Amino acid sequence: MSSQLPATAPANASSAPSARSTPTVPPKPRNHVRTAFIAAAFVAFTVLACTPGIGGVDIDLGAFVQHWRNGWNKFVQLLQPNFAFLPRTVGPMLETLQMAIVGAFAAALVSVPLTLWAAKPTNPSWPVRTFVRTVINVIRSIPDLVYASILVVMVGTGALPGVLTLFLFDIGIIVKLVSEAIDSSEHGYMEAGRAAGGSQLQINRLTALPQVMPLFANQWLYVLELNVRISAILGLVGAGGIGRLIEERRSFFRYDDVSAIILEILVVVIIIEVISNLLRRRLV
Amino acid sequence: MSAPTTTARQPAAHTATPEAPARPSRGRQTIITVIVGAIILAAASGLRIDWTDLGRVPAQVVHYLQLMFGPPNWEKLPRALEETWRSISMAWVGAIICVVISIPLGMLAAHGIGPAWLRFVLRGLFAVIRAVPEVIIALLLLAVTGLTPFTGALALGIAGIGTQGKWVYETIESVQDGSAEAVRAAGGSTAEVARWALWPAAKASLLSFALYRFEINIRTSAVLGLIGAGGIGSMLSNYTNYRQWDTVGMLLIVVVLATMLMDTISGAIRRRIMEGAKPRGMERSS
Repeated sequence: MSSQLPATAPANASSAPSARSTPTVPPKPRNHVRTAFIAAAFVAFTVLACTPGIGGVDIDLGAFVQHWRNGWNKFVQLLQPNFAFLPRTVGPMLETLQMAIVGAFAAALVSVPLTLWAAKPTNPSWPVRTFVRTVINVIRSIPDLVYASILVVMVGTGALPGVLTLFLFDIGIIVKLVSEAIDSSEHGYMEAGRAAGGSQLQINRLTALPQVMPLFANQWLYVLELNVRISAILGLVGAGGIGRLIEERRSFFRYDDVSAIILEILVVVIIIEVISNLLRRRLV
Repeated sequence: MSAPTTTARQPAAHTATPEAPARPSRGRQTIITVIVGAIILAAASGLRIDWTDLGRVPAQVVHYLQLMFGPPNWEKLPRALEETWRSISMAWVGAIICVVISIPLGMLAAHGIGPAWLRFVLRGLFAVIRAVPEVIIALLLLAVTGLTPFTGALALGIAGIGTQGKWVYETIESVQDGSAEAVRAAGGSTAEVARWALWPAAKASLLSFALYRFEINIRTSAVLGLIGAGGIGSMLSNYTNYRQWDTVGMLLIVVVLATMLMDTISGAIRRRIMEGAKPRGMERSS
């Protein structure tokens, strides 16, 4: 579509003045071949993804007709949360919050140098930059629960593998988002610092860091929220927190307790969101 | 802002150098720092972690990394690739389900489109879904559809609605400008406003978010595999349980490479979508 524009635009511009009363409307830029190609690729990928023979998803709508009652019973139970269970959740919830805070704090500490190493304006040496970015990408591409299940074997069950999982997960997010923001932002201050003869370290500390501090703070608060959500599932593999309780109540088929815990997580996440929004408004 | 105090404090400023304004007070910052520090310390000390354990973590990690990658066992690679494709299929079908549901719902939840009560209901629904972990949704669906990738895809589709719906209404609200008002002034109904004012303006962002959902789903599908929904996650969790670390190492390599590959492809398409939305080649005519 865009490749046609330069060719048609001047032609229309020259023909427009000749039509006095009604201005000619330029032809709508259309590219049927491209649209058809995209649609075909989309359909092909979807069909392949739904072909069980080659490992795709077997869309089995018949199961709904047959077994909908099984799920419905659980769902009805979920809709009747047992709030009497809440006092027992206080301890694990506290542990979840502690894990979230410690994980986010440790990640915040480590993320600052890593981010400055991963961004182009703050680290002109490309081998180091590429190395740090690759490590971060590898860290990011392993899902949180996979970390947790492997770390549980490595260091034993409890809060420690949970905190380590959150730490790794948070670093991936913070470094990626903030270093990309540094890359794409204006570097006027940093250029001024360089023009004044500052070393890279001085430039980073005195110009780059103050400029990106609000971004960092933003991401730190964001991963804190994420951590509370994630630690709800870390317990499934034995990595501590409220998830362990969810897993326990679920294995007893006490879905009323499970939904009370889920509602509690919802409330805690909302409270953290409100607090971090207040802090954010302060910072930005 | 406090010139008298500066001159009082710096009598030497009578010389040629202009006097610097007083440094802004850092009192509030200090208080906030102390509070945050106290919270972090309290959290760290409250955790039942023997922090001396942390010292032996590096040795353990090195030990297990050696077991995993020294060298990884490539025997099961064909099955791993098949399971990876199953995970990708799960992610793709889940993304389609999620996007198809959340775009209309998200549009209705935007300011000025649907009625206020519907907006509150939908936003509440999104918030509740966001709080429910995918795994719980999958465990619910499991009772209906069994331990299949279809359950995983459905769980991804439903669990994603919370965040995706939020993105949709935020996008719609950010593109809302005169065009929606113009269509309404010309007598357009809500459906027509959505079709002729909002959709053209938000299309690129919404498609980009849809692809982003696919990227997220690829990661999450591995998590769902851990509870048995199939795909690479199931295989990974099985071989972790069997303690066959060399195969686990191979699977981790496959997961990392597959995720990075899909991220790269999807990211390139997203960039194309977003840049295609900008009028390129127009700078020549001006």
